[in-house]
Amino acid sequence: MKRWLSLLAYATASLRRRAGKSLALASGLALAVTLVASILFLTDALHADADRARDAVPAIVVERIVAGRIATTRASDVEAIRNPAILSVKSIRPRAWGYLFVPALQGNVTVVGVPSDEPPLDQRAIAEGRDLKSGAHEMVMGSTLAHALGVVVGDDLQLPSLGLKAPALKLVGTFDSDVDLFAADVIACDEADARALLGLQENESTDVAVDLSNPEEARVVAQTIVDRLPGTRIVERDLLGRVYALAYGRRSGIVLAASIPALVALILLAWDRASGLGPEEKKEIAILKAVGFGTSDVLLVKLVESWIVASVGAAIGLFLAYSWVFWLGAVGLRPAIAGWSAIYPEQALTPMVDLAQLFAIGLAVVGPFVALSILPAWRAAILDPMEAMRG
Amino acid sequence: MRGRAAAGICAIALLPATLILLSLDARSRRITHAQEAAMRLAVVHRLPSSDLALSGGARWLRTPSLEEPGAAFSDGPALPDPDPAGGAISPPRDAWNEEAKIGRGR
Repeated sequence: MKRWLSLLAYATASLRRRAGKSLALASGLALAVTLVASILFLTDALHADADRARDAVPAIVVERIVAGRIATTRASDVEAIRNPAILSVKSIRPRAWGYLFVPALQGNVTVVGVPSDEPPLDQRAIAEGRDLKSGAHEMVMGSTLAHALGVVVGDDLQLPSLGLKAPALKLVGTFDSDVDLFAADVIACDEADARALLGLQENESTDVAVDLSNPEEARVVAQTIVDRLPGTRIVERDLLGRVYALAYGRRSGIVLAASIPALVALILLAWDRASGLGPEEKKEIAILKAVGFGTSDVLLVKLVESWIVASVGAAIGLFLAYSWVFWLGAVGLRPAIAGWSAIYPEQALTPMVDLAQLFAIGLAVVGPFVALSILPAWRAAILDPMEAMRG
Repeated sequence: MRGRAAAGICAIALLPATLILLSLDARSRRITHAQEAAMRLAVVHRLPSSDLALSGGARWLRTPSLEEPGAAFSDGPALPDPDPAGGAISPPRDAWNEEAKIGRGR
């Protein structure tokens, strides 16, 4: 034990003697780890958030396509889906939602019509005020949007609509910041008000949501709907998972590609370790051997030095990446991976990474770094002391 | 010597300690998040899709999974167009082919 502690003490002292080089190596490693780990953390968190929410969306969404673009669904289309009844279809909901360009924001807000039979929201979802009442010309909006528009609960707001036919809506509540990731840019109002704002006729809807009692039958139900309404576009819930994986995978890939220079720097650092020892270090090893250090002792000291540098670099890198993404909200990085919305959600992300994954990342950094230092350490350890001292 | 050995042990222990600290923080955040899951799903149920309110460079695409199946759009300033030939979900080609065959037979 004493021998081990002595060797460890010697390795620590040796690193301190070459403090500049050790610090440069650890900092370079930390920087590369921060960059790569933060992209992985952010992508994982966004993907997981979108994926978890998939359970709440309808099993099938039916859209009408006209001239390659989405057109409003007609009442006759809804009737065609409804009759004759399709087995395992639980409900068919024509939905009224869409976008409204707000000049004050120079961006679009999402207007969602809430049907009158929709159950009221859990009060925890409302940060301030209450949920809307049907027929009272009320609205609930994302807190980020309310902040951007400069409105508070109790204010009346005349949103732009065709010929300003839509009534002014009273803000009765704001969504909690916990749902900001989904509702930052949303205005939820009565379905009739949404139709007035979006210019939808009574017999029109944006799309049709189909809920199933057995989601496994989504493909069969989708086929039946396409048979009845040829040319419609069916979005199945399962496909959304693939869309999210594609979107976030692609974005993180682009950002990772942009960070190749940093990764090259990491490889250069590793190469520096592999390329051998300087004359000073060789001399030091020769003296060690002359005073009684064995080959295995020298090898061990060099490995411990590498382990300490890699371990400190990886620890600082992972800590910086984690705090950047989850404590500081990935300032600067988030728009590159997440998107460029005009009204940006401010909700903190939920980390998906666990201890096993963190250890895997840590070992992926430390392992190769230490492995690369074995060969030069071995070369140094088998040096003839007299030859090394002569230079 | 003891001081140096202790410093060495601390340096080696820094990585496992950091990993444990971060995983504990991640775990506690996941637990808090899970407690709010039902409330979050109730809000998402009202929305057009579970797409995050992040949007693309094309600001009309708030819910890219549901929209613009045939339109090219940019994912962000100066980024390569990720979908030059259309959206991520393709149109129902099989069904359209089938329909075309039925139409020819009529």
